[in-house]
Amino acid sequence: MNDPSATGRSDEGRPGAGRPDAGLAGVDLDRVWIGVAAQVWRREPGWLERLAGRLLRSPGLARALLTTPSLLVPWLIASIAVLAAGAAATLSSGQPVAPLLAPAVAAAGIAYAYGPGVDPAWELAGSMAVSDRMVLLVRALSVFAMDSALGIAACAASGAALGITFGWLVPMTAVSALALAAATVARSANVGVAAGLAGWAITILGGQAATGKFTVAVQAPVLVLPYLAVAAACLAAVLYASRVSKGNR
Amino acid sequence: MNIEITDLTRRFGRTQAVAGVDLTAGPGVFGLLGPNGAGKTTLLRVMATVLPPTSGRLRLLDRDPGGYGPRREIRRRLGYLPQNLGYYPGFTVCEFVEYFALLKDMPAAKVPAAVAAAVERVDLGVKAKAKLRTLSGGMLRRVGIAQAIVNDPELLLLDEPTAGLDPEQRVQFRALLRDLGQRATVVVSTHLVEDVGAACTEVALMDQGKVVFDGTPDELTARGTEGGTGDAPLERGYTAVLAQARLAQAQS
Repeated sequence: MNDPSATGRSDEGRPGAGRPDAGLAGVDLDRVWIGVAAQVWRREPGWLERLAGRLLRSPGLARALLTTPSLLVPWLIASIAVLAAGAAATLSSGQPVAPLLAPAVAAAGIAYAYGPGVDPAWELAGSMAVSDRMVLLVRALSVFAMDSALGIAACAASGAALGITFGWLVPMTAVSALALAAATVARSANVGVAAGLAGWAITILGGQAATGKFTVAVQAPVLVLPYLAVAAACLAAVLYASRVSKGNR
Repeated sequence: MNIEITDLTRRFGRTQAVAGVDLTAGPGVFGLLGPNGAGKTTLLRVMATVLPPTSGRLRLLDRDPGGYGPRREIRRRLGYLPQNLGYYPGFTVCEFVEYFALLKDMPAAKVPAAVAAAVERVDLGVKAKAKLRTLSGGMLRRVGIAQAIVNDPELLLLDEPTAGLDPEQRVQFRALLRDLGQRATVVVSTHLVEDVGAACTEVALMDQGKVVFDGTPDELTARGTEGGTGDAPLERGYTAVLAQARLAQAQS
């Protein structure tokens, strides 16, 4: 669009405007201006982005990671608030509410990490050299790590028993994988959240109906293998649904 | 040829959006015309490697986008402006363009100059540091064009690029298209025939998922003598070809 010879657009106000070309023969002022503009407009990445860029060996992937909707400050504040409320409830009631909330928080965060309706430029990102599958993977793992850290902090603050403090990490993996699989297959973050929360609620209520204790979902060692099997199946579904092949969806 | 499409189809469940399209295009500006629902956007999304084809053969920049490696190489050399481009409202113009330059795998050291050049080419230098939430619809469209051309693409796919641009900007944009078309293959999907007449060297007309005309704008204009309606010669050609295609379909 910036083709003054074709459009008659005025360059007034720009460096090089009204330039005495005869006195600067051989100097490409447009090129000079682009060099100046590049320096003036360039954005210095923060330490976190530089670190992520080095770890992931891709500045594009690092930038994509830092734009994850469920890693932005408002979302993190909401997650911290929910888990803090859970920790307070645990302290006041003696019931392990925080360990039961942590998988639900992670499921919601992962479902909202990437996808249509969640990421404004999702379709455009799908045409980029940095694979959208890779973006999904990096974002999901980062959200999982962040929510794990928040969950552990909440459980530690609430004084939950050691077994419970870490007992929810395996179910959290399964519930997060379920939310991710549902969001990827249905191409809807809301469906992912609904599936994750519903799956977790059914597990808790089912455990309570069977044993009379709703904490069985995070305490029973016998459930570890089923949780891991669910997680593996869901991750396989994610890989299948996010493949690029001949399609009619 | 930068684009080679043979008998390409794309289905969404029972709906066939693209039905057996054959198309080839080398450097130049290629216009994709057609009424709403003709399949232009779907075809463009397939060419942008966002959607896989249901069947048929697709080669872009002499590569098959079905494989991971070739697809990544195509995407490095591709510029794409979707019909509905989402924005990050908190990003500035430069941050947005830079983000996609990085996602296109451009070398980080070259990105600042490429971003500045792209922003200048769409005449948004004065808004380079402005947040996207403060820009008008036409300016946002130009930001979208800037991200599409930031990597100096060999294949540029633009879906309704002039939507929201004022007449002066559209004239400027056509000049930019002609310039880009000298080195790259530029595919412009539009329903504005005047854009095609002013900027395109070749045009295809789609209807109901099929290409019903493929030729130069002059050839399409010439078809207007066969009973087309409209104010401009190219519009008459457009309507005449569409009417004949629909008649042929009804008879078959």
